[in-house]
Amino acid sequence: MRRAEGKRGPYLLFMAFITLLFIMLGVRLFHLQVVRGGYFRSLSSRNHIRVVASPAPRGIISDRNGILLADNVPAFMVSAIPSEFDSSRIELVAAELGMESSQLNQMLQSASGMPHRPIVLREGMTVEEASPSAENLFRMPGVMFDVAPLRRYHMPQEFCHLLGYVGLSDTHESYEGEVVGRAGLELALDDRLIGTPGLRREIIDAYGRIVEEFASSAVEEPVPGTGIRLTVDSRLQAIATDKLSMTGLPGSAVVVNFETGDILCAAAVPTFDPNLFARGIRLDEWNALLDDPYKPLFSRAWAATYPPASTFKMVTAAWLLSEGLIEEGFRPDPCFGSYTLGDTDFGCWSIHGRLDLVEAIARSCDIYFYRTCQLGTLDGLATFARRFGFGSTLCELLVGEKSGLVPDSDDLDRFYGEGGWGLGNLLNVSIGQGELLATPLQMAVSAGVIASRGRMPLPGILLDREPRGTVFAGPPLPDQVWAPLIEGMSETVESSRGTLHGVFAGSTLEFYGKTGTAECLGDDHAMVIGFLEVPEPVAICVVIEHGGHGGAVAGPVVRQILEGFYSSGTAGNGAE
Amino acid sequence: MVGRDRPDLLLLSSAAALLAMGLMTVYSASAVVTDSGIFGRQVLWVLIGVLFFAGGTWISFRRLEEISPLLFTVACLLLLITLFVGSGPAGRWLVLGPMQLQASELAKASLILICGWWLASLRVRPRKMGEGAIFLTVLPAVLLTAVQPDLGTAVSMLMLVLAMFIWAGYGPGWIFLLISPVIAAVSSTGFPLWLAFTAVLSFILYRRRATIQSWILFLGGNSLVAALTPLAWNLLEPYQQSRLITFLDPATDPHGAGWNIIQSEVAVGSGGLFGQGYLQGAQKELAFLPARHTDFVFSVWAEETGFLGCFLLLTAFLLLIWRITLAARKSVNPYNSLVTAGIASYLAIHVFVNVGMTLGIMPVTGLPLPFISYGGSQMLVMMFLLGLAVNAGMYWREV
Repeated sequence: MRRAEGKRGPYLLFMAFITLLFIMLGVRLFHLQVVRGGYFRSLSSRNHIRVVASPAPRGIISDRNGILLADNVPAFMVSAIPSEFDSSRIELVAAELGMESSQLNQMLQSASGMPHRPIVLREGMTVEEASPSAENLFRMPGVMFDVAPLRRYHMPQEFCHLLGYVGLSDTHESYEGEVVGRAGLELALDDRLIGTPGLRREIIDAYGRIVEEFASSAVEEPVPGTGIRLTVDSRLQAIATDKLSMTGLPGSAVVVNFETGDILCAAAVPTFDPNLFARGIRLDEWNALLDDPYKPLFSRAWAATYPPASTFKMVTAAWLLSEGLIEEGFRPDPCFGSYTLGDTDFGCWSIHGRLDLVEAIARSCDIYFYRTCQLGTLDGLATFARRFGFGSTLCELLVGEKSGLVPDSDDLDRFYGEGGWGLGNLLNVSIGQGELLATPLQMAVSAGVIASRGRMPLPGILLDREPRGTVFAGPPLPDQVWAPLIEGMSETVESSRGTLHGVFAGSTLEFYGKTGTAECLGDDHAMVIGFLEVPEPVAICVVIEHGGHGGAVAGPVVRQILEGFYSSGTAGNGAE
Repeated sequence: MVGRDRPDLLLLSSAAALLAMGLMTVYSASAVVTDSGIFGRQVLWVLIGVLFFAGGTWISFRRLEEISPLLFTVACLLLLITLFVGSGPAGRWLVLGPMQLQASELAKASLILICGWWLASLRVRPRKMGEGAIFLTVLPAVLLTAVQPDLGTAVSMLMLVLAMFIWAGYGPGWIFLLISPVIAAVSSTGFPLWLAFTAVLSFILYRRRATIQSWILFLGGNSLVAALTPLAWNLLEPYQQSRLITFLDPATDPHGAGWNIIQSEVAVGSGGLFGQGYLQGAQKELAFLPARHTDFVFSVWAEETGFLGCFLLLTAFLLLIWRITLAARKSVNPYNSLVTAGIASYLAIHVFVNVGMTLGIMPVTGLPLPFISYGGSQMLVMMFLLGLAVNAGMYWREV
């Protein structure tokens, strides 16, 4: 290191450079504060730059024929920035917006943690509702009116469970007025439907009026969400909802196309109005929905499980034939109306006499299956039943879909303790009772599997989905197994002693069906599964909760739905 | 024992003025949220800082030079530990009981010491590739800081080393060779740029009669850097990429870093010539300003005191830096001189990067404003370094 005099070069270089840096800062400061100070002060003192996100319209949902089920309408959204809100005007603002001032006060209080973030006071106001208040905007500093797309459901009752509903997002990452899916497909497909919000920066004055859009920024327009097209036929869904609600009981109907796997209808009653959620549901409305004993929010078609009852005999029959436990013409000992195992009596609902398999299906004899199922084991039946789709979910997009239960020996060991159960459990399961549980969707699919002779694809709800293979897993079964089942379901309708004979008397539709009556507390659940080959390859399941005997209650609903859809001039929907 | 001068009064009074302005600003910035305790803690830090200052004036430079490598090693180890157990908003804090330590602040100070140690040692006994050894020595500290990830502090460390090389008397050719990897990285954005850079590099190597090894090292190494830069860009954390991009075009990110810059500019600009008045800042009041008692503390001062207040503050900084640099120039002992010049550079870099950021002419980094920003670690380190500078000015005759 040189002496002090020798350090002159570095010293001068050093100080010159540092002084230059400070001069740069000074020039910049002078520019910002003195040259443009007035401009910035006008922005700052009571005017603020605000980044505003314009909500993106959610994707449009339509049915298989392009009929609109959900779209968006422009509506007014009123929001407030708590830090700019004049709390002495709280009464005025509450009156203008038709709210309680205590409610408004509470909303402002709860947002005090983030006072500069706009909170939504009211959404979904129509032009008529909003315009008188908008004229008084100058008296309400900190309050803003924005046009935001409002979700509108065109067939709200019919599609409430399938489409679900939307609501304001309340996470910290969301922007003001961001709408997200809360239930149903709106929730499951939120990523596709949600779109990208637009952004713009505004300079606003103390009264919330936009002075100018901030000059240096590009305005980004919102990008609407992607539309989706469902496999559902809205006319069929409407008919099914109508016929179900005419029973006055909770219930559901599922129709699937067993050649394509398309879910054509998944209706349930009672229903609710999802438009209430779109415009912001009130607490009393929400509580009314929650307190309703019939649970209208419950998606019965895939989230409810019932014992499939006698409709399950189709699976038991298929199992008996495919395992070679019986031949088609096998006739066990006759049905005398009851069967005694040990000290327990297993009753049948009638006295059927000696039957073969086709007759046992058509007349739904329990004793036939009590006697024959003992040729196999519970685990054999459970494994086989799972190949029909029982015990697992079938369509991942259906929010809350239940898998049901196909009990095997492990399950029963768990329920009753090892050895705490016996042959009686197999007898119960063979006629679809006991621990067995299935959703209406699974029951409809099981009918589709039989109708398609095991070739039915896995069901889906989106028209543009990827194929996912067949429901019926494992090696295919020969026609000798399927033919007697289909004949049995035909005889159920055709034979004079069939359980659906009276219901379908005089119908032009060639229906194949099977009834079921699930024992439960109170009146039994009534259910029918079945399928049509003409005019369309569709399988159906109708469940009426506490409807009593399957054929008598669910049967007419099946006939009304199918005839309503196929016999009213525009039979077939042309999409296939 | 050689004689000592009185402490430099101008240096002390400018530092005291800065501390006073700092406390005022932190009080104002934290007054938005009542009972936050930020101001009280900052007063405590300043009081403890006075002890550190006293320590800096009292310590012997001889002893400090001896333990410089040890201090640097400890600082690097602390950085390494922070990497694994760090907490806080960006994982940059090391929790020691009730204390939270920002190891990168210690590392910056120890970097000054180790560079002074190396450069002084090379002055006494030049070694082949000794300058390269300095870079290899500081590399762990820079890399450990960069992966924290705190790119701003890492870059400021490199600028600090560069400044100390200039002080040690290395010429423009040297400096160009030193920063050639950085220029190589920048030149990788366009082929003509890279050609021009390679031509200048070759010219300098030719003028310096470089050995064949140097030719291979500089040309080969820099070509490699230029080739790898696009890959390295992809390794940056997305927020760092966005910060660099946002610096070039603030409008690209209206919510994030660009938003901070715009809000800061509005705050500074609305100060005007005389300011909005102490405690009257509207932008600060409405909490539009991010990190208003730490990184963006200058915006609060600028909004409330205006151009005149800013002029006062920057003048105090310039005066302080000048007096420290004078002490460095006077010091006979190379180590003392280098460390003191390093302290002046440290101050200058921090002031320029931090204030430049709030004015929108530098990228958004986490560099605090010395003596002004809220924060214990950096206040104590800064006070100790200030003590060292005063110490060097008093004992400048020490050989």
